[in-house]
Formats: sequence, C-alpha cells, structure tokens
Amino acid sequence: MELNICHLYPDVLNLYGDGGNILCLQKRLAWRGIDVSVARLPIGSPTSLSGFDLVFIGGGQDFEQQVLLEDLHRGRSREICAAANDGVVFLTICGGYQMMGHYYETFDGKRCDFIGLLDLVTVGAKERMIGNYKFRCTPEAGGSVVVGFENHSGKTRLGPSLRPLGTVLAGRGNNGEDGTEGAHWKNVFGTYSHGPMLPKNPAFADLLLATALERKYGRAELQPLDDAAELAAHDEICARV
Amino acid sequence: MNFKAILAILLCKLLRALSRLLHRGGTAMPGRWALKLCPDLLARLSKDVKTVVITGTNGKTTSARIVEQAFAEAGRSYFANRSGANLLSGITTEFVMNATLGGRMKKEWAIIECDEAASVKVFPQLKPRIVVVTNLFRDQLDRYGEVTHTLGNIRTALQSVPEAALCLNADCSLCSSLALSLPNRAVYFGLDKGAVPSREKPALSDATHCIRCKTEYSYDYISYGHLGGFRCPKCGYARHSADYAVTDVIEQRSNGTTAAISIRGEKRVIDINLPALYNVYNAVGALAAAMESGVDERCAVQALASFQCGFGRMEAFRLGKADVRMMLVKNPAGCNQVIDYLENLHNRFVLAIFLNDRGADGTDISWIWDAEFERLNAIAGRIEKVIVSGDRAQDMRVRLKYAGIPDENITVERDYEALVSSLEGLETDICLMPTYTAMLELRSVMIRHCGGAEFWE
Ligand SMILES: [Zn+2]
Repeated sequence: MELNICHLYPDVLNLYGDGGNILCLQKRLAWRGIDVSVARLPIGSPTSLSGFDLVFIGGGQDFEQQVLLEDLHRGRSREICAAANDGVVFLTICGGYQMMGHYYETFDGKRCDFIGLLDLVTVGAKERMIGNYKFRCTPEAGGSVVVGFENHSGKTRLGPSLRPLGTVLAGRGNNGEDGTEGAHWKNVFGTYSHGPMLPKNPAFADLLLATALERKYGRAELQPLDDAAELAAHDEICARV
Repeated sequence: MNFKAILAILLCKLLRALSRLLHRGGTAMPGRWALKLCPDLLARLSKDVKTVVITGTNGKTTSARIVEQAFAEAGRSYFANRSGANLLSGITTEFVMNATLGGRMKKEWAIIECDEAASVKVFPQLKPRIVVVTNLFRDQLDRYGEVTHTLGNIRTALQSVPEAALCLNADCSLCSSLALSLPNRAVYFGLDKGAVPSREKPALSDATHCIRCKTEYSYDYISYGHLGGFRCPKCGYARHSADYAVTDVIEQRSNGTTAAISIRGEKRVIDINLPALYNVYNAVGALAAAMESGVDERCAVQALASFQCGFGRMEAFRLGKADVRMMLVKNPAGCNQVIDYLENLHNRFVLAIFLNDRGADGTDISWIWDAEFERLNAIAGRIEKVIVSGDRAQDMRVRLKYAGIPDENITVERDYEALVSSLEGLETDICLMPTYTAMLELRSVMIRHCGGAEFWE
C-alpha cells in the first residue's frame, strides 16, 4: 500500500509550522510499514493534482496571498474542485481553509475571490481570534476532541447545507459566535487549528489516513501505534483550555 | 522639567527602589506608572542624550552588549538597558535611573535595545542618532503578527526620525528594504559571498518573494534562512554592497570565531568572543553601529574580542566539572542557529530544552515544528541524553519524537531544581535551550548552583 501526499503551495502557504502536519502523516504511515511519497507543489508548478490521495494546504501571510490568487485562477482552482469531487482527502488550514470558500472580504470591504468549492464566506474582523482552543469533531468526522491554536481575524460562516468539522468546546472557532469550527464536505476537511495540529491529535490524523486508504484500496486497517507522547501533549493542553 | 515630569521621575525612582528591595527584577512597572503621570517623559529625558538603538528579530541583546563594550573601550560615558526591558516602559525606567531628580541626564550616550513592535512608540520620543536593524525573521506570531507587519512597524517608527543613521543587514531583504522608502542615511553590514559555504535554499524561508514586486528572488548565495545575496530578477531590487563586510569566516571554535572583514574597503582580521555564525552577524552589525557613532576602529575591533555576553545568550556557566552554555531560543531562525552550534561541538553533551508558552515567549508554540530538530539525528552519537522541560515539555517531546529521536531516549523533567541537580555530577558538556521566561527561571537556579549575580544587578 502507498499513499501519495501533495503539499500544495508550500512556498507561500507555510506559516505557523504547517510542515509538522506533513511530517506527522509521513511518520504515521511509515511506522506502519505503508509507503508514502510527498510532493511539494509550489506556485507555478506544472504538476497536476491527479494521482494524489491526500492534499494538504496550509496557512499563509496576507502579503503573499496575492501571488497565489493568480496561480489559482490559472487553472489550479478547477483541478482542486475536480479532485475534491473525486473523493481525494483534503486537509486545509487557516488561509488554505478560507481559500476553499467563495471569497474573503477584508475589514475595509476589499474582496478576494476564492475557489468556491465549499459553501462558506469569510469576512475580516477588527479583533483577532487567538489562542489555544479545542473542539469536538462531528460523528462523521470521527468524534474525537481536537486541541489546537487558532490565530485569525477572518470570521467564517457556513452556508446552510455545509456541515462544520466540529463544535467548539473552548475558544472561538469559525467566527466566535455560532459555536461551529471548520467545515467538512465529502473528504475535504477545513479548520482554523493552525500549524502542527495533527501530531497532538493522533485520532484525527489517523482518520485522514484511513479515509485516504479506504478510497484507494477499499479497506483501511491501521495498526495501533504507541501514542503515549502524543496523548500526553494532547491531554495536558486539553486540560488547560 | 515641569512639575509633572519631576513628580514622575520621583515616583519612578521610588517604585524601582521598592521593587529592588522586594527582590523583584521588574524594570517595566516603575516606568509604566511614570508615563501615566507624564506621557512624554522619555522625550524630555532623552533630549540631551545621544542614543544608539538596536532593534530586529534576533541578536538585539548580544549586539547591544558589543556596542556597550566598544563604548567602554573608548572611555565614553554611557548607560544601557541591560536587563532586556525593551518596551517603552522599561526604556523609560532606564532613563529615569540615569537621570537626576531634576531630570538632568548623568550620561552622554544611551545604548538601547528596543522591541520591534514597541519601536513605533519609542522612536518618536527617543529620537535616536543611530538605529541598527539586526534582521527580520518570523517570530512569535501571536505577539508580532506576520513578518511584513513587523517591518511596517519599524518603517513607521523610522518615519519619525529622518535624521537617524541606519545600520542595516545587507543580507536581509526585509531589513534593507527600509532604505528604499526612507530619506535616512544608511550603511550596510553583512557576509560577502564566499565568507561561508553557501547553503541550499531552505525549505522554509520567511522572505521568498520580492518585497517590492512580489517576484521570487534569485540568490547568489545563502548564509542562513533568507539571508544572503538576494536579487529580484524583475524589478532589480538586490542586496546592497556591505560597508562593513565579513569576507571570510576563518575559524569557528566552540568558544569563539575568527573572521576577515573589510571596513569600507580596508581589510582586517577580527576575533569574536562568541561561537556560532549568527554572532558573526551580531558582531559586524555592532561594529558598524559603534564606528558610525564615532568610536575609533581600534576600540570597536577590540570590543569584539573582549565583550562578555550574558543573560542566556550563549552564556557560559561552570556546573561542577561540566561546561554549560545557556542559549535562548524563541523562533525557528534563532533555534536553527543554535542547532548549527550543536553540530559543530566536538565533545559529548547533554541537551535540555525548556519550552514555555507564556506571554513573553509567545503563546503559540507552533514554531518548534519549523526549527530543524531533524538535524540532531546526525549528531545523535554525541548526545549523551535529551531532557525536555517547561510548561509545554510534552509538546517538545512530541516534536523530538517526530524528528526521529526515540521517545524512550527523552526524559521529561519539569522541576528545574531537580533537573539541574541531576546534571551536577556530569563530566560532559551541557547545552541548555530555554525560551525567554524559562530562561529567567532557569538562570536563577543555575546561579544558585554555580554562583553569580541576578540579572538586574
Ligand atoms: Zn522585485
């Protein structure tokens, strides 16, 4: 068995230790003897998304998002939508998550048009939502408690038919108002839990891997790993927030 | 001085005396109260003092210490904010402590380390003569925001002081872009091509695209991170040649560095009393600042060899038979430089990492995943033992596990006292890597075990 992972736009969407998520997926496959390849597709890369089982898109700096909008509109948008519809697993975080929606409107009314794959919009707020937080994933997304760090000024609202990834237990989540966090549609997962969310949340990491393996091979038996360190880190911060 | 200012000075001095009496290190609190009483107190006090300000992400404290040493060698009358209180309040306290009750300054020069975000408030009052910008890297994002935001802060701050001379890191495309939009006179320091072997472009860079036109930079060479010979193929923005240039790093030792430099075209060989490449940058930046402020070259060069850095920046201790270095870490670029240093050590060593997530550390610890702990694998044979500590010890443990260090080889020990005691009998070297607030606590424990003075003394 083998999974092909794509890190999309690692050159500009690479803030907040996002690489930790890729590393986590790689290691958790390797420890189970499953082959894994990781391809980094920067802006302007000619490589197509077809052939990947799991795509990761991280968060980025405002300054560099313009560079990437041009690339999206050159055809990458269409490809992302096709792959998502085909059941490819996506983990999108922060800026990458917002990018899956219709648009981002800045606080002073400037609008950036995004991919429009997920029925959500993001509007910039004055105040930043920042700090450790936790949420419980919906049953369809495994039901585990995810603990992470959020740092965003955009308030995201989901359309009526889009399911959130989970319910906020502590912190702000999508907008600090409706108690939702992230979004989940087909095998596309979006969250504000930025940076290295997966290493401390092994159940959620394994859910992504199992989903990708199942789609590719029709079955997924993930041997249990010794997660003592991961769970210690999870439980410790979970108890604090 | 008006009545309010004098009252504020009095209050500040009293509060400071009180806090020392209570053995608190607090340098910010007295200034904060004084500023409430007299908001332009710093402007009033600094009017007759010539000030050198050092700002930037990494290396502020070390650079300031070197400038201080150069001033001492030159016999100048100066004071400095040595305890690292580098916000408006702490800087104000430092000025009050060096003023008479009537508000007359006792010293001619001030050497001030200033937080990047605080620069906007500090510079307009301080009106520095010389401003050093050491470098700009992604730092604690929850405190500073994105790196271009920090750059914007410094630019805004500098707009209030057009007469200040800038000493800019030529190799940092972010820092040196300050000269593009400001009228200030600028001099540059940096490492020339060939000074060190060029590195591969790092997987993570904090400045990949041109600050002017957003085209991807090309590099002639990279010294570390995004520092090096950058060039924008589209708009032509490129590294400015360095007036104070390191032309060759001749020898890197565990306790120092020998380098060849060119000062406005004149070649010299210098000794730097600290190891690691990032301190070569600090040295040449401080040299530029000292010489631009009028210190003669002999004193400035002498200072590089004779200064003693402390306060957790490569600070040396002796614990029983073991040599200890305490190396503050707070962001990936700085942490990678410490890992560089570990790679170059010859002896076996114990490594202890202390990760806190309090306000002054940055509450977001994601940055540990950007630092290249994977490089420890190649030197695993020389690492006697790995200990993790601090409020987020478990997160550090997970980071090291995913970096390839077997979990069973990692010890979690949160009690600093017990941790240091357990190291006491060792004969190997000891490397301590604390974040800021962990460093403050750890230093007290180390000082108790090794003898020495607390930082505010
Ligand atoms: Zn350009």
